[in-house]
Amino acid sequence: MSAFAEGLNALLDPTVAVCLLVGLLIGTLVGMFPGVTGSMAVALAAGFTLTLEPVQGLAVLLTIYVGANYGDRIPAILVNTPGTPAAIATTLDGYPLAKQGKGGLALVSSAMVTTGGILLSVVVFIFAARPVASIALEFGPAEMFALVVFGLTVMISISSRSLLKGLLAGIAGLAIATIGRDPITGDERFVFGLNDLNSGLPFIAVIIGLFGIAELFDQLLTHHPGTAQIVSSLGRWWPTRAEYKQMARPFALSSVLGTVVGAVPAAGGDIAGLIGWDRAKRMSKHPEKFGKGSLEGLTAADTASSATLGGSLTTTMALGVPGDSVMAVMLGSMLIWGLQPGPSMFVQSPELVASIAGIMIIATVLSLGISLVRSQGMVKILDLPRHYIWVGILLFCIVGTYTTSNNMYTVWVMLLSGVVGVIMKRTGFPPGPVVLGLLLGPLAESNLRRALLIDGPASLVTQPIAASLLLLAAFSLAMPLIRRARAARRDGAPPQPIEVDRT
Amino acid sequence: MQALEPGPAPAPENQALVAGSSRRLEIICAVIAIVGSALLVFAAQQIEVRNETGGIDPRWWPTVLGAAALAFGVVLAAVAVLRPPFSRDELESATRAGWVRLAVSVAIAMVYLVLWPWTGYLIATLPMLVVLTWLFGGRGWKTLAVFPVVMTAFTYALFHLVLKVPL
Repeated sequence: MSAFAEGLNALLDPTVAVCLLVGLLIGTLVGMFPGVTGSMAVALAAGFTLTLEPVQGLAVLLTIYVGANYGDRIPAILVNTPGTPAAIATTLDGYPLAKQGKGGLALVSSAMVTTGGILLSVVVFIFAARPVASIALEFGPAEMFALVVFGLTVMISISSRSLLKGLLAGIAGLAIATIGRDPITGDERFVFGLNDLNSGLPFIAVIIGLFGIAELFDQLLTHHPGTAQIVSSLGRWWPTRAEYKQMARPFALSSVLGTVVGAVPAAGGDIAGLIGWDRAKRMSKHPEKFGKGSLEGLTAADTASSATLGGSLTTTMALGVPGDSVMAVMLGSMLIWGLQPGPSMFVQSPELVASIAGIMIIATVLSLGISLVRSQGMVKILDLPRHYIWVGILLFCIVGTYTTSNNMYTVWVMLLSGVVGVIMKRTGFPPGPVVLGLLLGPLAESNLRRALLIDGPASLVTQPIAASLLLLAAFSLAMPLIRRARAARRDGAPPQPIEVDRT
Repeated sequence: MQALEPGPAPAPENQALVAGSSRRLEIICAVIAIVGSALLVFAAQQIEVRNETGGIDPRWWPTVLGAAALAFGVVLAAVAVLRPPFSRDELESATRAGWVRLAVSVAIAMVYLVLWPWTGYLIATLPMLVVLTWLFGGRGWKTLAVFPVVMTAFTYALFHLVLKVPL
């Protein structure tokens, strides 16, 4: 049996079907509740999927990833509050449409273009991942180090308004990754006689703390009751033929754009959605309608943000560098299962790659089904009191983290990471680079040291791929600053802090 | 990637919900970054290496990271003093009730983590959920009694009975 057939065959196991349904339910629900992000849900679910087989676990995590991409549009359209950051651009035209009594139309159109965006990008994953991985197989230590630096710098440049804070966060992640045994000599570093620290900080606990608990703590700090009004009259559901025609152009443009943005390490649906919306507005015959309830605007935003899924998956699986923050969390789970995403996975476990593509497609079709049969009852779920959600998240974070090691030390690490995470959030330090630094730190250190010991520092600039990646890394850090300086000169603005444009 | 056009300004009633910028906060961040990175460099030098080879040994990478962080920390301090503080308009402002809610939640979670190994999952979890639900605004016997019991039973059944995690 070919690896492809074997991978798809693994999905016929009834337990996988149960995992898909569980993931779909969780994903749709977490997407619907503002504040519960996809990365938070995947981090939380990672705790209790570690006891499952890889295919079953991936079925849960990937379906949450897909389901959240549908669920987050509902509050964005009906309450003007994005369920996850990926739906930020949905609010621009989704909520105005709902206020005009076209909430049903906006929900159905959004679900359809989201499906199209994800499926097209998964096709790209199926055809592009293997060639990308086969190129990456040729990478030596210098190239691998440069790749990690590139991923980290892109994450830094897009996840923080302050480049300096992003850089410091990235270094903090790399520094935390040095706790434990040296990756080359095995010497103890920063262990302070504690056995638990010998294998480094448990990264799933750190991830759950930085993404899940920190977000919860921030909501506890800032909750202001009754700031949004739910639209309860949804109007008609299906688009007319003329409206389908209207949607075609922004859909085509944004599906390509979203896939490309998704393939950039660390760039996710939030950025892609805003860029897609902006591009579609510039190309539209009716740009004046954008932001006031344009179906074109909604189509562009949702297609672009959903098309990032396949691009992001391609980067993660082919190169081992997370395509977005959800993938960073998923990478952590895969490492615990003993899977190393990257070029070698296509040689060692090609059937798993086929399973992943299959799971993505099934999850997308199921999510569309749920989206199309949704009723006004769903709107009522948005009214669920906050205290149930907060208590549930805290308990699941604690128990989920405990299950990763059956050791209370892991839960303490998670709680401490949560406190650190909320301080970081309040002070403008992004958690993404910390997690990426923590996950990729050993890879960066061991490859840099090997490159320096074997070929000397020159190898970083004389190997064409390594040099190109390092140049791109420098470019990704410099560009936002150059753009900001240009904008300031053009506007004659007074000096501003070193903030970067996140778009 | 081109800059987007600026979005509409927040409505006046929402402006009070946006966190304000603070120079003092920026300076504190920079000082913590400088002290933390200096400590990293110092701690890296204390690493005991079994085979002293000099050069690129296990101390080298943490030292490089600490030195880089120190340099960025100094620049951050200079920016904090010389430039206007960073805008925090993407953050909502914290409330006094929020600080209390957060501090008490962390304290309850810590007590819970201490109690759990002593009393077992069920006995520790149920009262914690009752207190947290009340703290987060839940009122009424259904909310304060039924919800914690259902959550405790559900998580116990899911993790202990189904997933075989020894809680």
